[in-house]
Amino acid sequence: MTFNPLEQRGIPLDRQLRNWRELDVAPIDPDRCDPYTRCRIITMNGIEIEAVLFSHQMARHCPDQDVRRQLARTRYIEQQQQKVVNWLLPGVSSVLETTIAYEQVAVDLTAWVARMEPDPYLKQAYQFGVLEDFDHLYRYANLYEMIEHRKAEEIVQGLTEVMPGRPTPYHHRDAVDNVRDPYDRDRADPLSKLHALTIMSAEQQTMNFYMNVGPQYMEPIARRLYQEIGLVEEEHVTHYESLVDPGETWWEQLVNHEYNECYLYYSFMEQEPDPRVKAIWELHLGMELEHLRIACDLMRRHDGRDPEQVVAPRLPDVLTFEPNKEYLRGLLDTQIDLTTLGAGYVREAHERFEAMQRTVNSDGGPPSELVMEQHQHLYGRDYRVESAGRPA
Amino acid sequence: MTHEARSDVTGGGEDVVALLMRQHGDIRNLFDEVERAEGEERRAAFRRLVQLLAVHETAEEEVVHPSARRAFDGGEQVVEDRLREERDAKERLSRLDDMDPAEPDFLPALRELRTEVMRHARAEERYEFAQLRRRSDPRRLAAMAKAVKAAEAMAPTRPHPGVETAPKNIMAGPVAAVMDRARDTIRKAMGDRG
Repeated sequence: MTFNPLEQRGIPLDRQLRNWRELDVAPIDPDRCDPYTRCRIITMNGIEIEAVLFSHQMARHCPDQDVRRQLARTRYIEQQQQKVVNWLLPGVSSVLETTIAYEQVAVDLTAWVARMEPDPYLKQAYQFGVLEDFDHLYRYANLYEMIEHRKAEEIVQGLTEVMPGRPTPYHHRDAVDNVRDPYDRDRADPLSKLHALTIMSAEQQTMNFYMNVGPQYMEPIARRLYQEIGLVEEEHVTHYESLVDPGETWWEQLVNHEYNECYLYYSFMEQEPDPRVKAIWELHLGMELEHLRIACDLMRRHDGRDPEQVVAPRLPDVLTFEPNKEYLRGLLDTQIDLTTLGAGYVREAHERFEAMQRTVNSDGGPPSELVMEQHQHLYGRDYRVESAGRPA
Repeated sequence: MTHEARSDVTGGGEDVVALLMRQHGDIRNLFDEVERAEGEERRAAFRRLVQLLAVHETAEEEVVHPSARRAFDGGEQVVEDRLREERDAKERLSRLDDMDPAEPDFLPALRELRTEVMRHARAEERYEFAQLRRRSDPRRLAAMAKAVKAAEAMAPTRPHPGVETAPKNIMAGPVAAVMDRARDTIRKAMGDRG
């Protein structure tokens, strides 16, 4: 691919502001859309939210009024982008349906990134994490059948399997064991930086989502399951954000963010079958190219460095939503019993892990177990979608 | 075919809201079935959909809406909105019921009905059921569940071999007739309760 976002002209910022009618996008049809269209929407929503939150943090640490004004201008446009992207999701979907779609994103996005990641230590971090998202999908799918009598198959549409991963009760580790070692900003492959930012943003939005929607449930088991998995999302955000080199300057991070948005909108534009949604990816790519140009100017001016030093000279191969069934089954066969110790991975249940487990489980088992017990009691089985053509 | 769920619990005592929410899922499943089936199978699945919709909407009108009207401030208006949606859906259902499931206009019309029914169901869950559960005695919610279950027994959600093609199927017939019979059953169940 020869697309170099540093050399493309985007839409001038003063022509990016949209009116109310342009923001008012028609939602996708949850019963007839390509499930991966919904996955791309959820991903880009997480990316835009990270863009906005990052920009706010940067502004709070920035003494230069002109820079703060520039950040505010771009950020308002990014907020409009977030509104357009996330409002593609339909109001007729229940929270649990959207939750299952979030977990489908976590599974297939993380699996693809794990497959493509060139650095072995980072690759291991994604392989480790994806088996946990995989189990969350399974637990929520069982809750969905209990509460709504619907099968998660209707949401994931045979693209993603639904079956046990690393059991959710074992995701609760001592918090210090969630901190990974960062990549080295001077030596890391530019693609590795994009991967870390993408997965961190997606997990962060999943964390935010569960934090906010969990208490809207009336069913005690649903309320409890969202609490438990919400706490695992906290672990995942810690896990992934610690991969990013904290030595990156604010300017460098800003460029990385904007570059990543160009990469993802370009990737999704290339594979989107829904023409209406594709037009949005294309429009937003045009906007991001300009945001990137502005970020690069800021970096040159305030960091005294060329952005070309920190980002790839051309976009990597497109990030793709596609089934990862065999890959995931391979990981299930080899990594299901891993946990973390310090910044590494071990098989034994070490002392800190055991202590954490004892405390959280000291007065009754975890909700993720309870949901399976209740499902078993109601249906005499658990709910799974095993479609890879061989028994798990 | 998977097992039917035992209908006694979802995290504590069964109440009418949990039951109706699960029926919303069953209805959506039946829409899927009708869309995917062809020929006689589609006809049979559509009959089951008509039956379940009729029983479900009648149960809501007889049991749930009257309680909701009195249960919370604004209940009257919320119920009026839901009744208007139900009237529209019923008209659409009757028109669909007059069509041959094999004709080309059937599926587009079915999809329109589906969209309307799903919106209605979600609005009930968010604006009516949530308030009803909050303001009603759990025993009352459980008693209402019993009446709805009595009606539900009239509408099988899964195929029962032989029933669909039997000309004397008790639930066969136009939408209005199915609803009348569901109403009788519910009133009897409510009456039995005292």
